[in-house]
Amino acid sequence: MNLLRSLPASRFILWCAAWLVPGQEREEWLAEWQAELWHVWQSYNRKAHGGFRGGREVTGFCLGAFQDSFWLRWNNPGSIPRRVLRTGSASRCSLSLGIWTAVSLSTCLSVPGAYKAIRSAPYRNVDGLVTISTGGYSGAQSATIHLRDYESWKTRTHRLFTGIAFYQPILKRVHVAGHRGTELSIGRASDNFLKVLNLSIPVDTANSLSGPYTAKLYLSQEIWREVFDGDSRLIGSVTEIAGQRVLIAGVVTQDSWQLPGRVDAWLLEDERHLAMLPANSKGFVLAHMRTSGALPRLDSWRYMTVHNEDGTSDRFDCISLEQRAQLPFSIFLFTLIVAVIALPATTALPLGEYPRHRGPHPWAARTRRWLFLWTKLVLFVPLVYFSSVDVAYGFYSAGSTTAQYMQLGLSFFGFLFGFRWILQDQRKRCPVCLRVLSHPARVGQASRNFLAWNGTELICAGGHGLLHIPELPTSWFSTQRWLDLDASWGSLFSDAYVPSTGLV
Amino acid sequence: MSVMANEPKLSHTAAMILQTIHVGQIYGFSVMEATGLPSGTVYPAMRRLERDGLIVSKWEQQSIADAEQRPLRKYYKLTRAGVTTLQVMHKRYPLLQKMISDPEVKNV
Repeated sequence: MNLLRSLPASRFILWCAAWLVPGQEREEWLAEWQAELWHVWQSYNRKAHGGFRGGREVTGFCLGAFQDSFWLRWNNPGSIPRRVLRTGSASRCSLSLGIWTAVSLSTCLSVPGAYKAIRSAPYRNVDGLVTISTGGYSGAQSATIHLRDYESWKTRTHRLFTGIAFYQPILKRVHVAGHRGTELSIGRASDNFLKVLNLSIPVDTANSLSGPYTAKLYLSQEIWREVFDGDSRLIGSVTEIAGQRVLIAGVVTQDSWQLPGRVDAWLLEDERHLAMLPANSKGFVLAHMRTSGALPRLDSWRYMTVHNEDGTSDRFDCISLEQRAQLPFSIFLFTLIVAVIALPATTALPLGEYPRHRGPHPWAARTRRWLFLWTKLVLFVPLVYFSSVDVAYGFYSAGSTTAQYMQLGLSFFGFLFGFRWILQDQRKRCPVCLRVLSHPARVGQASRNFLAWNGTELICAGGHGLLHIPELPTSWFSTQRWLDLDASWGSLFSDAYVPSTGLV
Repeated sequence: MSVMANEPKLSHTAAMILQTIHVGQIYGFSVMEATGLPSGTVYPAMRRLERDGLIVSKWEQQSIADAEQRPLRKYYKLTRAGVTTLQVMHKRYPLLQKMISDPEVKNV
């Protein structure tokens, strides 16, 4: 501790702080602080009458040097942090966009609903896997298919489907010995459900358990951890649900399915027990379509028409699970294209007339300008995608129509107004240093429009030039024009000698 | 342009430091002792006052430091603009002179 409060340690603190001071002032700055330190040291030593006790005060004095050096660094016109964080600088704009994109991405990864929406389909051999729902209710989260229809399709659709399964979410209270009872949303499903879905269950839990049980319960990993504290003894135990003895057969991750309806656990019952449910009770139907050479790959919306005995017919939607899982990305692509098409209706596309820059590297200024525009575009597109997914699927489940419409609206308007802002922002920046132009001034008179130009003049605070924006586009002045100012104008601008560093 | 617009805008701390230098505490550590402000406040404030032309700094002569066997010190003093500003600050902060007065005046 004494070593830290010694004179060499204090000198070391000053030496460290000196590295923050701009190079041309560093030597003088350090000499002043070291001279002051000598006096501070002597002063405390004198007050203590030989028994020096002022170490803490001396260290405090030296730490103040960091504030002084930081002040000098910040107020140095050539300071990089000052240039980066300067109001209206291109770096500040790119940095803000980058931060917002990172925030929206991390929100997307941390909100379960949003994460589920952006991840790819979790099923293996997803080709041909469809959910069947009543026509027009494909996005509904509530069950639409009657059990009697499912029973009928089981025997009548062999040519269409290789497998067909039924499930019905029900709320049931589950009691397990050693754990408190809890109400779960249980997916009451036909026993071929996991096979149709192609979900793999660990062999030791699924097959090695046998006995006089007509139903098996598979808990979601989330419920197993949160409600049953991850108790491994639960697997193989017996509970009672809906009046029947049920074997808790295993745990499956909730990420394994992206199906309509919230399900905490799957209760697989044999067909005999399932048939005992009322014929008009509703559920969801999952099927695996037969893919033959004659049929194209299932990647689009399909309809199934069922003819009834009374001559009428019912139409059902068959939606590929892969397509369902890719829907958020499809909406994103669709809205991106529509927004790009609609953009010319909201703002002019030309960026203005910029003469060849007269600086030592004219191509560098041009490259920086385009690089900045593309940086904004590249950062903005994922920002809109992740933000719209965050809002839409953070509040509503992935398959719901409300979430899809919400994403559609947010994504479209986000892109449209975002692209509009990007173009407008690009137009009001200096083509040399890329800072936002300021001090707008009205020039000319509207009544003399055919004799001389009238409009707005903006100026670059760095003294690089003037931007003339016509009030009314004419044949000789249709778009904004940039006028370069040479170095002789520099004395009029306080910030003129800051080196032009493009993105900085 | 109004009179208010021409008035220099100094915080109470900056005015206190200006007053301290004016009464003869002419280097950083003595300003700290007289005002009770920490080094992290005093030195940046003096840089700002110097940048605004209210004070000037000057290194003392090497011979003086050598005679007293100590390192060279940097001294500060008020410019003409600094004196004018301080007079304005006395009206704005009436207690400034009482808080930090000339040591000789205090002894009388």
